Amino acid sequence: MSPVPIEGVEEVLGKKFSVIKRFTFVGAVCGGMLGFALAAGTAVLYLHPTGGRPIITIPPFLIIAYELTILFGILATVLGFFLSARLPMIKERVYVPATAVDKFAVTVACDSQPHFQQAAKILSTAGAGEVSQLEEEA
Amino acid sequence: MPPEEQSLVYADVNRDVVRSLLVTGPRYYVALYTALGVTVLCFFFPWFYQLFYGIGAAGMNHPNVWGTYLSSFIFWIGLSHSGTLLSCVLHLTNSPWRKAMYRSAEAMTLFSLMVAGVMVFVHVGRPWFLHWALPYPNQMEMWPNFRSPLLFDVMAIATYLTGSIMFIYMGSIPDFAAVRDRTTGWRRHFYVLMSMGWRGTDREWHRLGLAYTFLAVLIIPLAVSVHSIVSWDFAMSIVPALHQTIFAPYFVVGAIYSGTAGIVTVMFLLRKYMDFGQYITTVHFDNLGKLLLALSLMWTYINLIEIFTAWYSGSSAELEALTYKLFGYYGALYWEMILFCALAPLLLISTRFRTSFVPMLILSIAINIGMYTERFLIVATSLSRQYLPDAWGFYVPSAVEVSILLGSLAMFTTLFLLFVKLIPSISIYEVKETLATPSNKTGSDAWQPSH
Repeated sequence: MSPVPIEGVEEVLGKKFSVIKRFTFVGAVCGGMLGFALAAGTAVLYLHPTGGRPIITIPPFLIIAYELTILFGILATVLGFFLSARLPMIKERVYVPATAVDKFAVTVACDSQPHFQQAAKILSTAGAGEVSQLEEEA
Repeated sequence: MPPEEQSLVYADVNRDVVRSLLVTGPRYYVALYTALGVTVLCFFFPWFYQLFYGIGAAGMNHPNVWGTYLSSFIFWIGLSHSGTLLSCVLHLTNSPWRKAMYRSAEAMTLFSLMVAGVMVFVHVGRPWFLHWALPYPNQMEMWPNFRSPLLFDVMAIATYLTGSIMFIYMGSIPDFAAVRDRTTGWRRHFYVLMSMGWRGTDREWHRLGLAYTFLAVLIIPLAVSVHSIVSWDFAMSIVPALHQTIFAPYFVVGAIYSGTAGIVTVMFLLRKYMDFGQYITTVHFDNLGKLLLALSLMWTYINLIEIFTAWYSGSSAELEALTYKLFGYYGALYWEMILFCALAPLLLISTRFRTSFVPMLILSIAINIGMYTERFLIVATSLSRQYLPDAWGFYVPSAVEVSILLGSLAMFTTLFLLFVKLIPSISIYEVKETLATPSNKTGSDAWQPSH
């Protein structure tokens, strides 16, 4: 946990795979199709007199499709972010308030006391300022 | 790095931003209540009068069927491009100096869009029919005409508003978490909700970084398209001075220009009244000044092109419209616009000017006055001189319209004043990224184990 995003975490913890880009892409594609379907479909359902011009005109309808592409891309990205970051936090999870100010915390999940001792030793030798045990709901 | 920033540490940033939220002096309340009062008196009361009396209460008539309401709408949409430029474009170019400013710039975007939306309600005269612009199934079996630029506008502005809200909210989640830990009462409940349980784990940071960049990439073309679409409200007509392809770039450049000038104004006020002198420094004003200069030169070029193409066309209607714009009834306003938006910004060539706060404030206000004049002239001069000489006329805004314009400014101010007390107006985590990482020592903020 940290007050700022840390560069270089990915090299240490392994490159993270993120599903957000898939959300964005799928959302944008759906938005595009929906936008064009909306404009063209409603044009066919309710026929305005167009003076011989086409009922389904491509340039204006592409603009509508473009706007809805961006809209659904944005909404899908936000949804993807919340899902992949596992927010909002429903269950109580370990949190160190000082990490929102100027402290950096490393959390290690241990399931027994010997594991905790081992982890505490590794962290202390690495130069940790404080080492403490916190419990989290299962 | 300027001397003031070198002594800042992480904890100072939290402290200053929380102070800006919690500590409120009497000056703030005076400003807020004045702004609110002016909004009600100068915006809502005249608008209700107009709703009762009819659109004739505004000075619009044949041939000027559009007036200051539309120019105000375009002005506010234009001002909303500030956040997009500063926040999204400069994020993608990794500019370090944007970090202290972008939250307020994004807030300006949001509130300008909201005010622009309310201006639409005033502009249409009969807002109880406005829901017909939305595509919903109805008994009349009617659907909106999506071939019209007005409908492009509906889609574009709805998308832009949604996108801006998502963008500013997502970028603020870590800051809500930071201030949540230091507040109590209703504020704490509000920030707990808004921060969604953010803890600052590397997974969360990584996802936020990705999502934020994707949003920035999506919002930039959106902003370009929004103002192009607004320009097509004019350019897709056949009125001589409006039917020009230059309008899309003209409006986009003008929007970014007036938006950046708006940011300079807001930054000056934040720096002065919210005590953010350590965060908003001469570096920021210098860089904003350079941006303004570049945009001013582009804007001047586009104006010259407009004059040139109208003259080069040889069309009598275009030439008449051009002559009227430069030397006709509104000629003085045209030259005032040129003075404020093309000539005065040349002062920005001087570094001394760019790094002086009060001159930058005065220039930024002058630029925005000039840009409002530009929007007004686009509407008034073109509609006054269309094809048929016996349909020529002129237009003077009525008291109701001038009052509503002032009221819209007050509405924007009210919203912004509420924003600075509810949402961290400087991005805590991004400013921290520009500071030195704290070393391993225990200070007064040292965390104590819970057991």
